[in-house]
Amino acid sequence: MAMVDEPLYPIALLIDELKNDDIQLRLNSIRRLSTIARALGEERTRKELIPFLSENSDDDDEVLLAMAEELGVFIPFVGGIEHAHVIIPPLESLCTVEETSVREKVVDLLCKICSQMKESDHVDSFVPLVKAYSQLCQEDMPMVRRAAASNLGKFATTLEPAFLNVEIMTMFNGLTKDDQDSVRLLAAEGCAALEKLLEPQDCVARILHVTVNFARELSTDSSQHVRSALASVIMGMAPILGKTLSIVINILKSSIQDSTIEHLLPIFLSLLKDEFPDVRLNIISKLDQVNQFIGIDLLSQSLLPAIVELAEDRHWRVMLAVIEYVPMLASQLGIGFFDDKLVALCMQWMQDKVYSIRKAATNNLKRLAEEFGVGHGQQSALPTQDDGSTCKCAISLMAPVMGSEITCSKFLPVVVEAAKDRVPNIKFNVAKLMQTLIPIVDQSVVDKIIRQCLVDLSEDPDVDVRYFANQALRSIDYAAVAQS
Amino acid sequence: MGANSIPTDATLDLDEQISQLMQCKPLSEQQVRALCEKAKEILMDESNVQPVKSPVTICGDIHGQFHDLAELFRIGGMCPDTNYLFMGDYVDRGYYSVETVTLLVGLKVRYPQRITILRGNHESRQITQVYGFYDECLRKYGNANVWKIFTDLFDYFPLTALVESEIFCLHGGLSPSIETLDNIRNFDRVQEVPHEGPMCDLLWSDPDDRCGWGISPRGAGYTFGQDISEQFNHSNSLKLIARAHQLVMDGFNWAHEQKVVTIFSAPNYCYRCGNMASILEVDDCRNHTFIQFEPAPRRGEPDVTRRTPDYFL
Repeated sequence: MAMVDEPLYPIALLIDELKNDDIQLRLNSIRRLSTIARALGEERTRKELIPFLSENSDDDDEVLLAMAEELGVFIPFVGGIEHAHVIIPPLESLCTVEETSVREKVVDLLCKICSQMKESDHVDSFVPLVKAYSQLCQEDMPMVRRAAASNLGKFATTLEPAFLNVEIMTMFNGLTKDDQDSVRLLAAEGCAALEKLLEPQDCVARILHVTVNFARELSTDSSQHVRSALASVIMGMAPILGKTLSIVINILKSSIQDSTIEHLLPIFLSLLKDEFPDVRLNIISKLDQVNQFIGIDLLSQSLLPAIVELAEDRHWRVMLAVIEYVPMLASQLGIGFFDDKLVALCMQWMQDKVYSIRKAATNNLKRLAEEFGVGHGQQSALPTQDDGSTCKCAISLMAPVMGSEITCSKFLPVVVEAAKDRVPNIKFNVAKLMQTLIPIVDQSVVDKIIRQCLVDLSEDPDVDVRYFANQALRSIDYAAVAQS
Repeated sequence: MGANSIPTDATLDLDEQISQLMQCKPLSEQQVRALCEKAKEILMDESNVQPVKSPVTICGDIHGQFHDLAELFRIGGMCPDTNYLFMGDYVDRGYYSVETVTLLVGLKVRYPQRITILRGNHESRQITQVYGFYDECLRKYGNANVWKIFTDLFDYFPLTALVESEIFCLHGGLSPSIETLDNIRNFDRVQEVPHEGPMCDLLWSDPDDRCGWGISPRGAGYTFGQDISEQFNHSNSLKLIARAHQLVMDGFNWAHEQKVVTIFSAPNYCYRCGNMASILEVDDCRNHTFIQFEPAPRRGEPDVTRRTPDYFL
């Protein structure tokens, strides 16, 4: 570099420019930091420039953000990885800056520096870094603790495993007990990421103890947001806890499951009954992940009653999540069980006053018919004949599954009758439905029954009934052309 | 068989535009202009007291809360499967007035028999310049043309509707200058909402606990007591007056011993009031069911969690 001639000049100039009133000048000089560092050489950069920067964190956010960006590429200028820790003090002071984008950048950099240090295997250098992070976790400013909590998982991935068991878990433990619910929330959200990092060799009992304990505590947290976050990640923990136990305790598979369940089931159950719908919704929509770890007995004895209770939840999205969970439940529990306990619920859902619930319930009927065969679908669809449009919708979904015979014998008479309804919406849904039946039933049925019905509808006083009837009639013609 | 029962390119275009709008994506200025031309033809044939058949779902203020309108359709069913009667105030306050009003007008043009859209006091040139619709049009289109097109169209919106000759629906309330429904049928509605007079009152008045007529604190319209509602319902053989215009915490609120009901369909109004919304389903046997609903999960976030603000990121 051509800077050898001016060894003293750069730092003086920098100090001068950094005190200038013009923000553009200050920005420009900050953006030249790496050039200046190169000019100063490694030692003077460490001893003069870095300390100066550490004291200079009282500037416009834009300048500080630029400084943070510059520091991100600073490792070679301070003398390589073994001196990387000297960059930490200025980063630390940047961590307390009000502007969020600056702090975000800094936490990013800490993770980046850390991973570079890991690559070069300078384990000793981790110590100040971990210490710095640990301080961040205990900062007075909740904003900084929030940042630390949300990045803990990311930070942990960059560390040697040796640090995980003690240092990181201590930080994590502290964050889950923070005064601020938003800090606890972020800690809860990060816990699944942390779980994946834990190696089972050491201190298993301790880690398990800490995580299960904290999960138990968070599940009764005073903030619904924290409980909601926990509900959304806790399912991811079940297999990991199972794995941890399996290696160390080395016991039979069944008892692994028991152990997982023993620890987590009470937490599931209490979250399923949480007073806030978001918490219930998060846990119910993740239940599929836990199915494989719960035996049929436990599922039907402990979880099912709680789920059945949620099937009548006041909050329709919770109900919807339950509905979407039912086919999987039914396939696990078997058809006999389904008929006993859930068929009444399915019928109730089909008459719910929320449209999306009715729609999901009819979809369910189709999936159940696919799972358990035609006979079952026939039995459960027919009781809804009185139920107007929902029934039509069910038939249109079911007909392809049921096949021609049942469609003609059971469904078609219902549909033809509905074509005489007073309400135009029913009539044009009949037309739409007939259009879906055309490819399923025999041509003779189309010619004898469906076409006449549609012709009648195409002369209806209502414009929409005529429109959809004509659509369906045209599709008969297309089908005929395609076949000939 | 009517000519419009044959699917045309126009119908297919319109179906496409409606599905685009359902994703909260506005139409181009040119598309809005063409749509509003067609809407004008349909609306100018409607009566000041537009007759509506049951089953129908009656809705109150939306105020540009598009995602909550989408939630309303998830709760009540999509048009045309469900018939709708909206009682005005589609624009202003919320962030998506353009998308909201374009969708409703689009549905009106595609399914004139399935949806009725009445005029609210915010469907006016003056009010929209103060409460957000004008600014939103400027922001989204770079000029005021779309605002001009819509506010010109608003003049054609019917003022009231009559469901099965027994439920009288309108945005605001009664007027001391109106005794019968025929009074309403007889005046020319195609104009900016006036500052006073019967047309103004229909869009601005509120029911009140006190008897008789009162001065409205809003500065337009009147307050009317139970005696007024009873008299009006009796002389017009009505069972119920359904109206919107006022925030009610449960989404609906009975008044005047069930002669009047207020329906409000913007949950957590202005994103801060914490109220429930509701719609009123009148089935084909004329039974009434109110369905309440909460705000839709917010856009861009996973639809199962409500996160605390993430200050850091």
